[in-house]
Amino acid sequence: MAVSQEKITLYNLADLKNTSDDAIPNYLNSLGFKQSHHLTDVRLGLGYTALALAGACFLWDYKLGFENTKYYTAAAVLLYSVLNGLLTVWIMFVEKGVIYTGTSKSGDTVKIATSTKKNVPQYNLTITTTSKSGKSETIAVSRPFTEWFDAAGHFVALPFQTMLATSIPAVGRLDPQRAQAGQDEKMAAYTPEMLAALVQENSSVARATAETSTTGADTGKKTKQRRKA
Amino acid sequence: MYSSLVRLQNTFGFFTTVAFVVAAIIAASDLLAPRAPVVNTLEANNVQVATGRPHYYSNKKEEYASIRFTLDADLSSLFTWNTKQLFVYVTAEWPAAGSENATNQAVIWDTIITSPSADHLMNVGPATMKKLRKSAEGKSIDPSRGKISLKNQRPKYQITHPSGKLAEIDDVVLKLHYNVQPWVGALTWNQENLDVGLWKRLKGGVSEKFAFPAIKKKKEGGEKAKV
Amino acid sequence: MFSNVQPRQAAAQLLNFGLILSTAFMMWKGLSVITDSPSPIVVVLSGSMEPAFQRGDLLFLTNRNILQETDVGEIVVYNVKDKDIPIVHRIVRKFGSGAGAKFLTKGDNNVADDTELFPPGKAFLDRTDMIGSVVGYIPFVGYVTIMLSEHPWLKTVMLAIMGLVVVLQRE
Repeated sequence: MAVSQEKITLYNLADLKNTSDDAIPNYLNSLGFKQSHHLTDVRLGLGYTALALAGACFLWDYKLGFENTKYYTAAAVLLYSVLNGLLTVWIMFVEKGVIYTGTSKSGDTVKIATSTKKNVPQYNLTITTTSKSGKSETIAVSRPFTEWFDAAGHFVALPFQTMLATSIPAVGRLDPQRAQAGQDEKMAAYTPEMLAALVQENSSVARATAETSTTGADTGKKTKQRRKA
Repeated sequence: MYSSLVRLQNTFGFFTTVAFVVAAIIAASDLLAPRAPVVNTLEANNVQVATGRPHYYSNKKEEYASIRFTLDADLSSLFTWNTKQLFVYVTAEWPAAGSENATNQAVIWDTIITSPSADHLMNVGPATMKKLRKSAEGKSIDPSRGKISLKNQRPKYQITHPSGKLAEIDDVVLKLHYNVQPWVGALTWNQENLDVGLWKRLKGGVSEKFAFPAIKKKKEGGEKAKV
Repeated sequence: MFSNVQPRQAAAQLLNFGLILSTAFMMWKGLSVITDSPSPIVVVLSGSMEPAFQRGDLLFLTNRNILQETDVGEIVVYNVKDKDIPIVHRIVRKFGSGAGAKFLTKGDNNVADDTELFPPGKAFLDRTDMIGSVVGYIPFVGYVTIMLSEHPWLKTVMLAIMGLVVVLQRE
């Protein structure tokens, strides 16, 4: 079982989410999905353009002084705010938490967005699968982080991959092993009917033993009394 | 809150936010305190013009004007809990060559009136400091300090003009100004013409016009000007 | 940690750190442009304006004359040529008006006016010598910069800590 060497702080929700987010591309790419970096690239492009602009502004202000360059600086400040605004809009409304977009060899496109709510250790995934024919379906999955992190803070790959394989049919198709492991797990767990049967069995056994022990105690007392008298 | 460092960060961040908000509220509270500064008397008593040198080693001889004045003003409403000090100054103003409204202005006298909360910052000797602090014992603001009454006051500064000529100029006036320095917030000066909200403009802060007289004949040696 | 990091990941983290610095810088420049002053916020370094300003106080400047011209009684900041420490003093004399006006300044706590501070041959200040006039004030806050400038190693330490925290946290 692949247990990662690095430990993370289990109480740090951001770390939990980030480690899980990082594992998804690793897993899916290993199955043959081709990752699309379009969203990241646009974000990096916008961001680094803004950075470059700030750097240029710093340089010309440093070399030529404030008075000579103040109109350029004013323009730069305006442009920088516009770029930053665009970046924020991009992250908030277009990216919207998407951490992986990929296409399988069979033509299915999978888009995974993750989120966490403050102080709640649940990993919320929203998976949008678009098949080759254009049909798209959205699946929402919410699992506690405890399923794939051990008590010491190590990330355990198997249950994580199983979770993905069983929840996302497109992934399950490509990784039948994990999908099967998921089913087996389901079989191993106690079903409600089994639990009820177990309870009944236990209670009838308990009643039987209780009866025998009480009668035994009674006879014991009686014999004791008789003996005394 | 998964580590001490994070708790420290969050606490510090919260502290800065709260401090900033409190400072903003204090600064804004200044607008709610009404001001009604009044000048009852401001007049020039004794104006003299003499020649002198700016430094003992310079060759240039310049004309200096010394204006003694009488002032009676009530600036007590300017003191609030947010006032650190009041800087009051009297200027002499006369027209300058050039455009219509061009003037020459020079401060002839100024004083710093601290609020009791800032008394300890005044740069005075120990005896004066003791007296100062005792005068406002227990009070958070002391409006009575804003009442100024000076009779035939000798000016602190003797003024001149870059051209060196000052004698026989008409239409000179004395004006009273003040600058309120807060503990936190915006610095404000006297309003000449405008009433802003609860703050009334300075009533009567301009003296009657007078003139610089001709040069008074002084004995030889040149006077070292006190600047 | 570094074995698993892909180039895009690293670039995104670096971007986050860089954006914090550059946004702070651009906000400063924006304030500079709005007030038309190369240094719209200054820390009081000397005691020449006591008891109004103490060392470590923060001053907010503006270099725009929106309502009226710079006048006697205003507290202005100016640089004497070739000296990099800005001086914060009060205007005590003004001759003329408009662009050709001449000014003389003096610190409240000084006995003499600033004539001695000007370079030889320059008896008065011009409006263009001033980089701003004080409009707002916050006490004590600037003392951190005084400490940083008097102990420069503090600056490096602070920046290093900031950088580490941002890169390692990825928040």
